[in-house]
Amino acid sequence: MARATGAEATSVEQLDIVVDSDAHVMEGIDDIEPYIDDRYGAVRKIVDAAKRPLADIYSVTHAMPPFPFAENMHGKEGEEDSKIGGEYAPDEKLSEMREFGIDYGVLDPTLNLGLPTVENPQMAVALANAYNSWILDEYTDDAEEFTATILAATQRPAEAAEEIDRRADEDDFVGVQIPSTGVLPPLGDPVYDPIYEAAEDNDLPVVMHGGNLATSHAFPTQRRWNETYTENHVITHPFGHMWHATTMLVRGVPERFPDLDFVFQESGVAWVPYLVWRLDDHYLELPHEFHIDDLPSRYVEDQFYFTTQPLGHTAENPTHLARAIEMAGADSIMYASDLPHTDFDPPEELFGRVSREFDGAAVRGMMGETAVDVFDLPV
Amino acid sequence: MTDRRRHKVATVEDFEEDGDRVIEDVEGLEIAVFRVDGDYHGLANFCPHQSGPLCEGKLMGAISGIDGWRLEYDEDDLNIACPWHSWRFDIETGANLETDRYAVPTYDVEVEDGDVYVLR
Repeated sequence: MARATGAEATSVEQLDIVVDSDAHVMEGIDDIEPYIDDRYGAVRKIVDAAKRPLADIYSVTHAMPPFPFAENMHGKEGEEDSKIGGEYAPDEKLSEMREFGIDYGVLDPTLNLGLPTVENPQMAVALANAYNSWILDEYTDDAEEFTATILAATQRPAEAAEEIDRRADEDDFVGVQIPSTGVLPPLGDPVYDPIYEAAEDNDLPVVMHGGNLATSHAFPTQRRWNETYTENHVITHPFGHMWHATTMLVRGVPERFPDLDFVFQESGVAWVPYLVWRLDDHYLELPHEFHIDDLPSRYVEDQFYFTTQPLGHTAENPTHLARAIEMAGADSIMYASDLPHTDFDPPEELFGRVSREFDGAAVRGMMGETAVDVFDLPV
Repeated sequence: MTDRRRHKVATVEDFEEDGDRVIEDVEGLEIAVFRVDGDYHGLANFCPHQSGPLCEGKLMGAISGIDGWRLEYDEDDLNIACPWHSWRFDIETGANLETDRYAVPTYDVEVEDGDVYVLR
């Protein structure tokens, strides 16, 4: 654990607290299948019988294999990648966090970032429910460093709201996770109001994480014509968030749920000022289309948060990232590693770029204290 | 504002019905006078956004979203929309409808013996 110094920290080790606001587990379908509730017994039988779960339960395709030469992204040799990853047990997750000086991790899924590709709605509801049981049992019950988010199946908002209400008393759940890529209609649609209402009633932020597993559903035209994983991956995350955030602001989600916080994961920060400038401009020119009562930037400032990974290659001019964060709003920025995924950022990647550019309180906020507030972490 | 002067810009006959306007140069500044419900309102013909001719735009009530998908129309919330980028301003107060960051100068209007005067 890092220590307080009384002065501004000059290294990650000197920080009181470092929170990873996007800390992945690597669940496989075989892990969560036993946790499918008896209410969904038929689904459990079907999942158990599936020979190609990534194609026949989920609908996952890529233009090229994702990170084929990264050792930590694949299952054992000769096995199908049903985990979308190798063995990655809770103790490995914990030791990895300690290696990187991370005190707390807000856990989120990997395979189930593809939950929107599950076409059968009962299957989606059952898998989300099973993941929520699994993450408690396997991770958060045994380690105080872990918290998690309640996985919501947007295919059935009413059932997702029930799941949130049922799980919310569990202290280890600190948010509601919407795997956002491939969610249709977009998240500004009032059809999702039951999810937002349940999250707000239970004082849990809504956390949105894009994913390349669902590019086919979010951007079918691009998926068809992109020839590489890179072409999909570079665009899917920020485009997905820009679309969802835009529809949420135009259609007034933060206006209807003023006590709700929204966290956008895994798109970095530099897209935020660009989008907000455009949105404010449209609000002033086409106000009759908006279901909000103030400039979109005001809602972004008050209710939206952004996790930092992937920061991208910011080394050419080390001060540019700090400027982008200042434009996005330093109070809205939360460090995230994305570990164990291959494009992860260690804490130093952010800290080294901001520690001399912002005051100590702002840096401590970005590295962990803002996350403690947003997720109401039991620290 | 004791040093304001009256400037004749129109006669009441120039306004056939509510919503009509005249725009005249008053000491180097174009000022529009609108007639609404029999009252007259003076507003600078200048948009603080990008200096467009604000008062040459459409005069209408306010359309706004109410619940994420339905729109409502309030004909009493009368505003002028700049013809360049549609920024909306209240013709009585000069306030931008969307944000208090922007406003347009307003001018008192007096009517005497059928003549319409702007005070500036």
